[in-house]
Order: sequence, then structure tokens, then C-alpha cells
Amino acid sequence: MKFIRPKKSARQGDSFVFRMTLGEKELLLTTLKMYPMLDSKYHRLSRDPKATTKAEQEWLVEAMEQQQQEHKKRLGQLLADNQRFFRDDSGTLALTLTSEQMEWMLRVLNEIRVGSWARLGCPDPDAIRPAKMGAGQARFAASMELSGYFQSILLEAFS
Amino acid sequence: MSKSGAITAPPETEKKEKTDTKGSPDHGYLVICWNDPVNLMEYVTHVFQTVFGWPKAKARQHMMQVHQAGKSLLARETFEKAEHYVHQLQSYHLHATMERDE
Repeated sequence: MKFIRPKKSARQGDSFVFRMTLGEKELLLTTLKMYPMLDSKYHRLSRDPKATTKAEQEWLVEAMEQQQQEHKKRLGQLLADNQRFFRDDSGTLALTLTSEQMEWMLRVLNEIRVGSWARLGCPDPDAIRPAKMGAGQARFAASMELSGYFQSILLEAFS
Repeated sequence: MSKSGAITAPPETEKKEKTDTKGSPDHGYLVICWNDPVNLMEYVTHVFQTVFGWPKAKARQHMMQVHQAGKSLLARETFEKAEHYVHQLQSYHLHATMERDE
């Protein structure tokens, strides 16, 4: 997958075009379908239990659950949109995203990355060896690396 | 944080921010981002820019401090504002917490 160019659109404002192979498209969609990956209780409001109340921590969990539901709904719409990916004039597969859609996808991919890492037991990434793992764990190692790969491409387009 | 990057000095802005609100009882909570090995460095910089509206250079300085020192003080705020920022940072899945300014 490669960032090609920003595109001006009167209807949608700034948008960005990414060119990719069919294999990359399949990997991107397969990775996105793994969402949500992170337990809504993953984050703590404070390291000091006296700094915040139980109700404030519960509110954080509720906010996280609500966000996951919204992202999941939007992800469903994206996956159902057959026009999202198209063949450009040269016949190459391309994906167009607005900056707002990129921002959203970046967050979703990062949750998949962090969630995959958490399911691997939060190891040092340099110590992850998929070839020595069982199929289930290797799948999380792959989704962690793939989500990071797609995040890097989106971040390159932002910069 | 994942992926290495150029080494820079710790943020000079932090000292100024501390001084600006030091002693104010209304700003008794610290917003801290902690290092983790999974969030990409460029992603953390991007999130700091988005959440705090910082220019890239300042966001990158704080990111490097997280990476090198293990944490960075991002803001000293009231409880409500600190909680808001922590919610925002955690919605991006950064390792952020609010702590009392002892």
C-alpha cells in the first residue's frame, strides 16, 4: 500500500488516495475485521487509587465501550461499501479516504495493534517470534505488525 | 515506544508549564503519558498534536521524553480538565494517567 497524493474534492474537502495490491486490500480488511481487540477495562484513570473514585473509573470504562460500539458500527459501514475501493485509470486498485476517515482508521488500527500486543501478554516487541508460536498467538503477532504497517502509511500521508 | 528515532533534548516547555501553574490549587492534577513498547513514535506525536493542538516540534519533544525518560508531564490542570485529557489520550490508546500534584 502506498500513499499517492492528496486530492481536492468540492464535496468532501481534502481527501487522500492510496494505491495497493489486491493482497494488501485483503490484509487491511482482514486486520480491520479483528476490531475490537482491547478490553474496555484496559485503561486506568490514575496509578494512584486514591486520586480518583470508583465511579470515575467506571465512567472511563463506559466511555470506552461506547467508543468501541461507534467504531464497530462505522467499520461495518466501511466494509459494506463496495465503492470504497476502486480501480484507477491505470487499472490499479486504490482507496480514497478523507482526513477525518484517516484519523478514524488510525485509531481503529491502533486499538488492534495495542489489543494484539495485550493478548500476547504485553511482550517486548523485539522478542516476538511468530514462528515459535501456536497459530492463535501467531495471528495476534501478525495483526500487531500489520496494523502498525498500515498506521505508518496513514501517518506518512498526514505528514 | 516502538521504533527508534533521533535523540533530542527533553522538552524545555515542561519547565515553563510547571512554573505557569505552580501553587495554584485549581491545577492540582498532572496529566502524564507513560512509555510503552507498542505505540508507534510517529503515532504518539500525531496524537499529542491532535489532542493538545501543539505544533509538531513540541509534540515530538514530549514524545521523545516519553521514549527516553519513561514518561512526560503533558499538562497540569484542574481535576475536570485533567480527566478530559486523559480520556482523550486513552481513546487513542496511549498509556496516560492523571496524578495528584503532591
